[in-house]
Amino acid sequence: MANLKKGQPITDISVLIAGKAGDGVLFTGDVLAKILKRQGWEVVTCRDFPSNIRGEATSTVVRASLDRIYSWGDCIDVLLAFDCQAVFKNVQTIARGGVVFCDGEGIGAMPDPLKKGKTFHRFLLRQLAKEKFGQEVYKNMIALGALSYVLDLDTQIIQEIISEMFLKKKGQEIVDKNTQALMLGWAKAGEMIADSECHALDRTTDQGRIVLSGDEAIALGALAAGCRFFAAYPICPASEIWQWLAVYLPHFNGAVVQTEDELAAMNMAIGAAYAGARAMTSTSGPGASLMMEAFSLAGMAEVPVVVAHVQRVGPATGTPTKTEQSDITQWIYGSHGDFPRIVLAPGTVEECFEFTVKAFNLAERYQCPVILMTELDMGQNLRTAREFHFDKISIDRGRLLSQEELLGMDNFKRYEFAADGISPRALPGMKNGLHMVEGNEHNEKGYRDEDPEIRRRMMDKRMKKLQAASKNLIASRVWGDRKAKVGILGTGSTLGAIVEAQGQLARKGIPTKFLQLRTLWPFPVKETEAFLNSCRQVFVVENNFSGQLSRLVKSQVEGCPRFKNILKYSSLPFKPTDISRRIRRAPR
Amino acid sequence: MRNKEDYHLEDPAWCRGCGLFGVFDALKRAAAAQDLDPEQTVVVTGIGCHGRLNNCFRAYGFHGLHGRVLPVATGVKLNNPGLLVVGVSGDGDAYSIGLGHFIHAVRRNVGIVYLVVDNRIYGLTQGQFSPTTEMGFVSISSPYGSKEFPIDGPRLALAAGGTFIARGFSGNVAHLAGLFEKAVKHRGFALIEALSPCVTHNKINTYEWFRKNIYLLEDDSGYHPGDKMEAWTRLQDSRRIPIGLIYQEQKPPFEELVLPDVHKPIAREGLGVDVPRLEKIMEKFR
Repeated sequence: MANLKKGQPITDISVLIAGKAGDGVLFTGDVLAKILKRQGWEVVTCRDFPSNIRGEATSTVVRASLDRIYSWGDCIDVLLAFDCQAVFKNVQTIARGGVVFCDGEGIGAMPDPLKKGKTFHRFLLRQLAKEKFGQEVYKNMIALGALSYVLDLDTQIIQEIISEMFLKKKGQEIVDKNTQALMLGWAKAGEMIADSECHALDRTTDQGRIVLSGDEAIALGALAAGCRFFAAYPICPASEIWQWLAVYLPHFNGAVVQTEDELAAMNMAIGAAYAGARAMTSTSGPGASLMMEAFSLAGMAEVPVVVAHVQRVGPATGTPTKTEQSDITQWIYGSHGDFPRIVLAPGTVEECFEFTVKAFNLAERYQCPVILMTELDMGQNLRTAREFHFDKISIDRGRLLSQEELLGMDNFKRYEFAADGISPRALPGMKNGLHMVEGNEHNEKGYRDEDPEIRRRMMDKRMKKLQAASKNLIASRVWGDRKAKVGILGTGSTLGAIVEAQGQLARKGIPTKFLQLRTLWPFPVKETEAFLNSCRQVFVVENNFSGQLSRLVKSQVEGCPRFKNILKYSSLPFKPTDISRRIRRAPR
Repeated sequence: MRNKEDYHLEDPAWCRGCGLFGVFDALKRAAAAQDLDPEQTVVVTGIGCHGRLNNCFRAYGFHGLHGRVLPVATGVKLNNPGLLVVGVSGDGDAYSIGLGHFIHAVRRNVGIVYLVVDNRIYGLTQGQFSPTTEMGFVSISSPYGSKEFPIDGPRLALAAGGTFIARGFSGNVAHLAGLFEKAVKHRGFALIEALSPCVTHNKINTYEWFRKNIYLLEDDSGYHPGDKMEAWTRLQDSRRIPIGLIYQEQKPPFEELVLPDVHKPIAREGLGVDVPRLEKIMEKFR
């Protein structure tokens, strides 16, 4: 939310770029995010786009702040619309003092409420682009130029970014044309708006930071962790993980396969992991439903496989391009039979990277499937992050035997009844390691065995691994005032809105603390109990209808206090005020 | 040189007279003739009576889920292409629940030997009709006769661009073993469908029935497995079932196309963290 009191420097700003699918709205937003980041600002984007290639309404919010932010904020300061529909749709969220540019051909005066403290400018971007450059596509760069004028962005940075984007791929001529379009937009905006409408942003240094999506962070984490095989089926909003890896894996002696369906994706990743590769797949709700069958196989056969699940709106096909947290329990309770599984839930881009590295180590160490749960909001939106430290990564392959160790063994048993449940592992092709990997209940050598006693012991052996794992998982994190009596529970990408809501509440004299659950399974019972016991009132914030996280906690923690659920299932991510208002108004 | 018994782990527990005994025998014979290293061989099986093959055939074994043999086998092959990967399925596994995977594995021409043991019935689940069961067949799930037209695996494989399509008969072990030897040498996806009587649940497609209805392509000196139209014609003939190598052609195997280096197995990569390279990649996010 911009503080547009005259004379005060701006510390927070939100820009909404809106149009129709195919207008290049997301592209323009992503470039703006990069410019702001290089100008030293923290950035979060929030895409709102349809499951459609051309024609339907699309928008993206680019929010920037001098403070650390993780959410898309509460209101809009600058709106740049490629059509008027977007203006009417978003009029309520435009803050006092806001500036609106609209390429609305054939529309009369804007309604009165819009004018209150807001200024409206008709900016015929398309027409201008066609006139000056012969192509409508240049409207995006003209738009960026206009925004740069309003926000007083560093044109040097923008020109650098234009060169990076176009020089190698399209040549100097295109770079020049884009630069001209940018300057044209700048000049036109200068003619249109008064100095008082400018939202000039400070320039600070940009050091040790990157800007990327959660999907990209997961992909980079996988690459760094030694993932060399990736099998997946196209699905929104997870495909970016694999598309990114498809570019890089071949350079690291790795491979990507686009499978015929998610049944194949999961089974192929299992085959790869069994062979000895660090293997992964990614998906969203419907794909995860198909993967459930093989998920169980990975648990039974003790194959270390990693799955990234980027949640979208369900059920059924739901709304594939919108965010939700309605698959939280899918991998915790899903599939047939009892078997060990680990579910991690990153809440920041940095965590997407770190938890992915950790996921591969946990999968091999405990020889079980490991799931990374994120959401579209985390997966596809850009956020600034502290740069990643690859030198701190260590690779832990658990009890994977070397050929020398295996040769020194008399009687290798793949499913040995080890004290901690973690048996030695050999790979096909190794000498002296012949064994079976079985989806049927089996004995220590891996051969099918239906003896009840063996079954009982084998079940104990597999499930015991979770006890060992629970000491080595990612602990929950407490944000805010540790002495506060008002507690908030949440997981994943709701973190951004929760943390900002905490700030808003603190300013109103309501201190809060927020428990960010970062490992969802095995459930961190002790940490959660201690947290809940120290609160007088607990709010559970989640992006779904039924309060899945709330129910999960209740099922795991004894004497759970009454929760107040703060739910949002409109397909949009939480705004900080969605949360702070509810907590403020709740009786205490 | 290894002999047949080197591949015999234990006696199988199939019904007396089951066609799978012939399949098992043919596998062992071919393995011995090729002197296959059990430690360099992975047998991936599906669910059905054939799935017990892992318990008796000496090699690395993976017994997964019903219908999912080929994705698992593909995962193994791509990550360690030096291994001989043999997939084994039944007709239900390959042509019903796993049909999608079958077509796509054929299309990709991934270097797997795929043995489909076709008994035209669901044996392990006590005798329901399968996708290869003839119309009208009375079974526990079709008490008034099956109302479905059967499909034919080799025909599907030919239509999907298969590069090695063969059919054998578990009653002719030497011939089936010969097909398996050829399949091992083939570059790409090799399908062998083994017609294999279920002596308990299929009283129609017996050894005798198969013997009456099959003929050896090798006996026909005019038949060349490189002729796709002729292969199609033979497969279309509903009166007589051709046995032998039906069709073969050369196409690059999937692993050679998709892997940066087939001689550097992904599965054996050291997982060192290449910090400077990763840092360079991260620069794109600045």
